[in-house]
Amino acid sequence: MAETMNRDVSPSAAGSSLTIKPARNVWALAKRELGFYFNSPIAYIVITLFLVVAGAMLFVFEMPEAGGDFFAANEANLRGLFGPTGPEAFGGIPLLFVFLVPAVTMRLIAEEKRTGTIELLVTWPVSDAQIVLGKYLGAVLFVGIMLLATLPLALTVGGLGKLDVGVAIGGYLGLFLLGAAYAGLGLMTSAWTKNQIVAYLVGALLCGFFYFVDGMLGLLWDGGRDFIAGMSFKAHFQNIARGVVDFRDILFYGSFIAIALVVTTLSLQARNWKK
Amino acid sequence: MIEVSGLTKSYDDFQALKGVSFKVNRGEIIGFLGPNGAGKTTTMKILTCYMPQTSGTVNVDGKDVNADALAIRSRMGYLPESTPLYTDMLVYDYLHHVATVRGVRKDKIRERIKVACEMCGILDRVGQEIGTLSKGYKQRVGLAQALIHDPDILILDEPTSGLDPNQIVEIRNLIKRLGENRTIILSTHNLPEVMATCTRILIIHQGRIVADGTAAQLEEQEAENERLRVLLRGVEPEVARLELQTLPGVRRAEVVMSTEPGVAAIELEAPRGAELRSATFNKAVEKGWELLELARLQLDLEGLFRKLTREV
Repeated sequence: MAETMNRDVSPSAAGSSLTIKPARNVWALAKRELGFYFNSPIAYIVITLFLVVAGAMLFVFEMPEAGGDFFAANEANLRGLFGPTGPEAFGGIPLLFVFLVPAVTMRLIAEEKRTGTIELLVTWPVSDAQIVLGKYLGAVLFVGIMLLATLPLALTVGGLGKLDVGVAIGGYLGLFLLGAAYAGLGLMTSAWTKNQIVAYLVGALLCGFFYFVDGMLGLLWDGGRDFIAGMSFKAHFQNIARGVVDFRDILFYGSFIAIALVVTTLSLQARNWKK
Repeated sequence: MIEVSGLTKSYDDFQALKGVSFKVNRGEIIGFLGPNGAGKTTTMKILTCYMPQTSGTVNVDGKDVNADALAIRSRMGYLPESTPLYTDMLVYDYLHHVATVRGVRKDKIRERIKVACEMCGILDRVGQEIGTLSKGYKQRVGLAQALIHDPDILILDEPTSGLDPNQIVEIRNLIKRLGENRTIILSTHNLPEVMATCTRILIIHQGRIVADGTAAQLEEQEAENERLRVLLRGVEPEVARLELQTLPGVRRAEVVMSTEPGVAAIELEAPRGAELRSATFNKAVEKGWELLELARLQLDLEGLFRKLTREV
């Protein structure tokens, strides 16, 4: 008995065989976030809400360019999901994501701050960058799952008529990149506060701003117009959703996400600045 | 093993630590005492690399906590003050998550979870959601989390707060057992606990270390008085007190709560070296009192604590 006790408490049992691998840490943290969504009702509520609204957008809502709803237009396309085109038009999943993605990301860091679990998280042997990447990966995977859940809608449309597969794939790729960029912004605002509601509101505001910024250009002076238009999520999305996957659009989203994640990491490290 | 020197920490205009220095050797169990706001938690947060100090250094085996944070964290187990846990997770899933992030080898994870749960007495709760556990069980999950990777340094911020007396004894025994081959720093308000578990005591007050030593050393340095507890039968407590007060050397005689009916309990205080025991015995014989107990009290930690941490 005494021997087993000694064995139990000896530090050599696992202590010497610890292996810290960054990729394993990031994946473990991402899995934890995904697990949170699917172990609670949140995932199912968000996905159901998302599917209902997306379905209505596709089949029920009037489409200005077609002069009626999906059936009146009598053409098999996913324009209802991807939204109307043009700088001043808005709608579809890109708009829906403005409200939904920050709801997915709002708790990621704010909740850890509120409950104090952040104190354990940052004293585990993981770097702040790994924490940010892990949480981001969890959120992006969730956004991906939301999009996958709409595939039956796309398949239904494909069954009704001849769907332009290239445009559909481009649209989905665009939606995923757009959602990933929103998730970056949402994660960033979640790192700024311990209040989820604040994180959500500021996140949705930022997402809405970058989504619609090219529509506000009329209010702006000429010189800034090109630069600001280049920042618009919607413009880059519409490029990709036309089925033309341009490297520059992907680079735009990539660098936008990178900046958001770096700012998030810096915000986490801000606890170290007050010396 | 752990070497803290000249540690200071300021929050805005409040100086929480004003130059804290101490050393901890391998295998010691350090009891970290101090009133609320004295700097215990701040010191622990710096030791665990949660936040950096304003000035001073902390070395663990010669490595600086700020420069080698990841390496040091991986050898440390930490239980923060209010036991923050992911309440939505099952105990098993949570410990699995921590073990993974802590870098426990995949094939060892199950075994480590089992060992940690056994040690903390939560083996029967592994399938339960953490949020539905009682406070005592949450505390143990927090402890299991700190042990999961078998660290050689454990930093526990109030590990027994919120536990019932049985659980406190269990955790104390566990800490003693763990301390056989690990270094443990634990903070607490519970003074008897320190006497029961710790090999050395550190008292911190207003950001400074005011006492550092084993219980015996502290008694030697700090206590000018020796104290006796006398239990008597067949006499009114107040009468006995007045009589005993007249014994040579007695500075203070006080009636204390008696646990038995009809028994007077009195505490006597005299300068060290004044041999009060025989005088008390003779007095009792002379007066015809029944002397039930005559005990020299060990280090009066509470008195020492109050003396050292009195607000000035």
